[in-house]
Amino acid sequence: MSKLLKIKNSSWMTSPTIRALGALIIVFVIGLIFNADGAFLKWGTHRDMLRAVSVYGLLACGMTLVIITGGIDLSVGSILGISAVSFSLFCIHFSWPFYIAIIACLLIGLACGAASGLIISRFNIQPFIATLAMMVFARGLAKWMSGGQKISTAVQQADGTYKYVPVPDVFNFINSKILWNNISVVTIIFLICLLVSAVLLIKLRPGRYIYAIGGNEEAARLSGVPVNAVKILTYAMSGLFCAVAGICQASQELQGDPEAGFTYELSAIAMVVIGGTSLRGGRGGIWLTLLGVLTIGYLEKILSINAVGEDKRLMLTGAIIVAAVLLQKTKK
Amino acid sequence: MKKFTKILAVVILLVIVLSQGCAKKSDSDTNQVKWTIGMSQCNLGEPWRVQMNADIKNAANEYEDIKVVFKDAQNDTLKQRSQMEEFISAGVDLIIISPKEAVPLTPVVAQAYQKGIPIIVLDRRVLGDKYTCFIGADNKKIGKATGKWIVEQLGGKGKIVELKGLMTSTPGQDRHSGFREGIKGSGIEIIFEADMKWLEPNARKEMESALARFETIDMVYAHNDPGAHGAYLAALAAGREKDIKFVGIDALPQEGQAYVAQGILAASFEYPTGGKEAIETALEILSGQNVEKEITLDSRCFTK
Repeated sequence: MSKLLKIKNSSWMTSPTIRALGALIIVFVIGLIFNADGAFLKWGTHRDMLRAVSVYGLLACGMTLVIITGGIDLSVGSILGISAVSFSLFCIHFSWPFYIAIIACLLIGLACGAASGLIISRFNIQPFIATLAMMVFARGLAKWMSGGQKISTAVQQADGTYKYVPVPDVFNFINSKILWNNISVVTIIFLICLLVSAVLLIKLRPGRYIYAIGGNEEAARLSGVPVNAVKILTYAMSGLFCAVAGICQASQELQGDPEAGFTYELSAIAMVVIGGTSLRGGRGGIWLTLLGVLTIGYLEKILSINAVGEDKRLMLTGAIIVAAVLLQKTKK
Repeated sequence: MKKFTKILAVVILLVIVLSQGCAKKSDSDTNQVKWTIGMSQCNLGEPWRVQMNADIKNAANEYEDIKVVFKDAQNDTLKQRSQMEEFISAGVDLIIISPKEAVPLTPVVAQAYQKGIPIIVLDRRVLGDKYTCFIGADNKKIGKATGKWIVEQLGGKGKIVELKGLMTSTPGQDRHSGFREGIKGSGIEIIFEADMKWLEPNARKEMESALARFETIDMVYAHNDPGAHGAYLAALAAGREKDIKFVGIDALPQEGQAYVAQGILAASFEYPTGGKEAIETALEILSGQNVEKEITLDSRCFTK
C-alpha cells in the first residue's frame, strides 16, 4: 500500500505524458469492451484507423509547433486543400514527374505558411486573425485553381467530352500499404514528419526558441532570441506539413478536391490539446500530440465500427474531449 | 503601421490589376441582346451547383439573344435576398433562383412575381404559389428507383451497406426513405448504415468499419457518388472491391458518370440540375407561352 502511494506521489505520475496515455488507454479499453463482434481485435481495424488519422496527424504536427509558440494556425485545412488541388493538377493534368510535383506542392505550402508567419511577426497581427485571413484566402485560391470542380482522372476535353487517364503511380503508391499489407504509406509519412518535428523541437536550437517564445515572448526577445525569424519558421513548417497532408489526401481520394480539409483545423487543434499541449504556449510536446492523435483516432473508430448514430456520436465526442482535457488539468 | 497600410494598398491594387488581366473577356457583349435573365445561385461551393450554372450557361449560349447574369449567394440567405432585390431593381426580364431555403426567400420571390417579372424556382422550393414555375427532381423517387434497381440486380436478396448523406438535410432523408420504400418486401437486408455527411473521406472511414465487421457485403448504396467512390476505395484497399457492387446518386459528368465509365460504380442515378430545362422554359415564358406550374425532372440511370 505504501508503495502504491509512493508511485502516486512521484513526479512522473502527474506528468502530462502519463495523463495523455491514461486517456488513450481508457479509450482503448472502451474499444476492447465494445469490440463490435471482434472487429476491434483485428489488426486491420487498427491499421485503417492509423491511415484515417494520418492526415489529421500531419496537420497536428505543425499545429503543435505553432501552439507552443503561443499562437494558433487556422489555415491548415485550407492549405491542405490548395496542396491537394495543385498536386492533382500537376500530376494528372500537367503530367509532371512526381518529384517535381511534390517539391512544387511543398513550396506552395511553405510559402502560404511563411506568409502567415510574416504577417504575424512583421506587422504584429494576432495569429488568430492572420491565419483566419489565410484560411479564407487559401480556400479561395484552391477553388480558383480548380475552377470549383474536383481535379480527377476524368479530364474534360475542349469539346466537353471526358477522357479518362490512368491514376498516376505516385497516387497509387501513397495510397498503398507496405510491410506485407500491415501499414499504410500515409502512416509512415505521418511518422516521418512526427520525427522531423520531434528533432526540431527537442534537439535543435529553434526548438528551444519555440518554447522560449511561448513561455515569455518579451523575455525571449530581450535575451537575444530572433523572435520574428523563429515565428516565420514555425508557421512555414506548419504550412509544409499541411502540404504533405494535402498530397496524402489527394492520393487517397485519387483526386484533388478544392473543399478538402474543410474544418480539419478544429480536429487538429483538438488532438494537440487533448495531448496536453497548453493553448497558452510554452508547454507541451510533439509526443503528447501523438497520444492525442491516437486518442481521437481510436474514439472515432470505435464509434464507427459500432455504427453509432451521428447524433450520439457528436454528443459522445464532445463529452470525451471534455473528460480528456479535465484529465490533463493540473491540480495545483 | 503607416508603412503596412501603404504595402497593403499596393498589394490590393496589384491583385485587382492582375485579376482584371487574367479575367477572360466575356463574349456576351454583343448588342443584339433581347432578354436579360438573372440567375441567383445559393452556393457555388458544391460541384453539383457549379454544374447547374454550367448547364444554364451552355444552354443559353445556344441562343444569341439572351444574356444570363450569374450571382452566387455563397450559402447566405440574406445575401441571396439582396441579390434578388438587385435583379428586381435592375429590371431583368426573367429571374431564375435556386434558393438556399424556403421561408426567408419566399417574400422576395413573391415581390418579383407581383412586379411582373417571371420567376423560375430551381431545385429547392419556396412556399406558396407566387412564382411562375418550379423545376426540380424528386429525391424520394430517385431513392425508390435505386432501391428497385438493387432488388432486381441482387435477385431479391442480399446484404447492403447504406452510406447516408446528412440525415438532417431533406435530400438525405428523401434518398433514405425512398430507398427503404423501394426495397420493401424483398429479402434485402441493411447490415450497416452510417452518416457520411456527403463527404468522401468520411465514407471511406465508415466503409472500412463495415468491412472489418462483415465478411459478406453484396452492395453499397451511397446517397451520393463521392460517397460510393470513397466506399470503393476502402474495399480496394482491403482487396474486396471485386465482391461488392457500388451504387451512387447524382451522376455528374466528372464524378458519377466518370466512375461508371471507369467501372468503379455499378450504377449512378442522375439527380438532374435542371439548368437546360430552366433556359428552355424561360424562353417559352418570354415568348408568351403558358408553362406548367410544376416540372418534375426525370432521372436517368447510368450503368456500364
